[in-house]
Amino acid sequence: MEPLKYLSKPKFRNPALAVCWEADAGQMGEGVVKYLKEELGGEAFCEIDPVEFFPLSGVAIESDVVLFPESTFYAVPDRDLIVFFSALPRYEWFHFINLIIDVAQECHAREIYTIGGMITLGPHTAPRDFWATFSSPQIKKSLAGYELSRELDFETPPGGRPTLNSFLLWAAKQRNLQGANLWVPVPFYMVGVSDLKAHKKILEFMDNRLALGLNLAPIDSRISRQDERIAQLRREQPEIESIIGKLEGNLRLSEEDHEKLAKEVEEYLQKQG
Amino acid sequence: MGLVLHREPDLNSPDMIIGWPGIGNIGLITVDTIRQAVQAEELGEIEPWDFFYPNKVIIRASILTDMGFPTSKFYYKRMANRDLIFFVGEEQPATRESMYAEGARAYEMANMVVDVAEKFGCGRIYTSGAAVAITHHTLKPKVWAVANRESLLPELKSYANTILMSEAEGRGNQGSITGLNGLLVGTAKRRNCPGICLMGEIPDYLSRVPFPYPKASQAVIEVLASILGINIDPRILDEMVTQMETVIANVYQQFPQDIRERLDQRKQAPRTRQQPIITEEDQQWLKDHIDDFFKKGDKGA
Repeated sequence: MEPLKYLSKPKFRNPALAVCWEADAGQMGEGVVKYLKEELGGEAFCEIDPVEFFPLSGVAIESDVVLFPESTFYAVPDRDLIVFFSALPRYEWFHFINLIIDVAQECHAREIYTIGGMITLGPHTAPRDFWATFSSPQIKKSLAGYELSRELDFETPPGGRPTLNSFLLWAAKQRNLQGANLWVPVPFYMVGVSDLKAHKKILEFMDNRLALGLNLAPIDSRISRQDERIAQLRREQPEIESIIGKLEGNLRLSEEDHEKLAKEVEEYLQKQG
Repeated sequence: MGLVLHREPDLNSPDMIIGWPGIGNIGLITVDTIRQAVQAEELGEIEPWDFFYPNKVIIRASILTDMGFPTSKFYYKRMANRDLIFFVGEEQPATRESMYAEGARAYEMANMVVDVAEKFGCGRIYTSGAAVAITHHTLKPKVWAVANRESLLPELKSYANTILMSEAEGRGNQGSITGLNGLLVGTAKRRNCPGICLMGEIPDYLSRVPFPYPKASQAVIEVLASILGINIDPRILDEMVTQMETVIANVYQQFPQDIRERLDQRKQAPRTRQQPIITEEDQQWLKDHIDDFFKKGDKGA
């Protein structure tokens, strides 16, 4: 079976490809894809068959709904944009990321952006940094006008593993496709929920860089509502107010505080919908 | 994807010695120690990206400058009698969930290694790994042996400190070898290449700790040196063995006295699978606590 299945052949000029992953920190991938689809539309035009990349010994169930690994390319031809959304593959990573690059090159993509959340110990009320790693000095220079932190030095420590986004960026570079990994810090207690401020950082960047003409008003109002909910939780639970206050005062949390905050915020936001 | 040979020397009836990481890193230490002792030169490598997830990214001033992968390299050395080829893999090709090779990729890599053995006319391949045994860390590890053809068994029985797997601990004729050490001798069998797997004993209570057990490698090196007719200084790993014995002795002192006393009986009693000296409960207790002990032991060392 061919691993790539084209459903249609939309016409692009030199599109950008945005790569988003399911179930990452702050639900970044899911949130960004959902917003782009709401605002711009986007037709699924290609899929990666899961059999080689995911354990298909059964299916996961969430809220009585069967889940199945999805790896889909969406086209927004009038904005010259491709969005790829997928669960993280469990096997054959190199083949998988090369299939993404195959589609990008088939569509004559000019650059690729991966989107990810980076867990931080800071509070949700702090201004968010916006990090990027680049495949080349050229693309770094071309993105100099954006508010990206650009002087990161990093080596994977012994026993660690690079992210799939780094692996993809490296593989794209080997095939002369330029790109950048975009990272927005996500407070540790927002990891399991939609961190809308983090989503907005990415959406703003994409809007500016790719001239998407996005209407960001809806996400602004959602952010206000999310902030209000957390403020409500702080009012209802003095202990949570105290813990977030410590974070805002740049104080270190105990393990117990750490766990309590993550649990309470996640439960509260999920309960509120 | 594939095999890259940096050179193609004309070798004299070589044998191939293969090592991967595994329990106690016994196989890897064995092969890498011999390779370094004879000063083998690099011959080639298997390109990593289809087999391994990367293990390192290097970013400088926010530019992704390099990506590192586990290596799988071949080396060679001309010797007085039969030449030697070494294969040293930094990792077994596996899924993220398991450290041991499995599935199509593992079989593919095993075949690539045998391709090189065939290309250079290897007479035999040797793999090396761990034999989890009902033994004691103060005893000299025996070396368990299996071959991929019956005709090799009498020879294996003739080597000092070596027993066939069927003779070990009264386990009888059934056994298995996990990961590429087993898969490789199996693949070699399928392709009619004689193969032997030599496994150094590691006590069952140490088999789960993330530390090397060089004492077993030392035992395997002695046997391999004898089979291959090469001179390897038997003290070559003495320093590493002494260091690890200190760590193990410190940890062992922290075991509950009753378990320690029962384990100490292993120093005298004949060992069989049917009559383990410590109970299943003791074994479970050791499994549950051994990692913690070694963490403490490591800090103190």
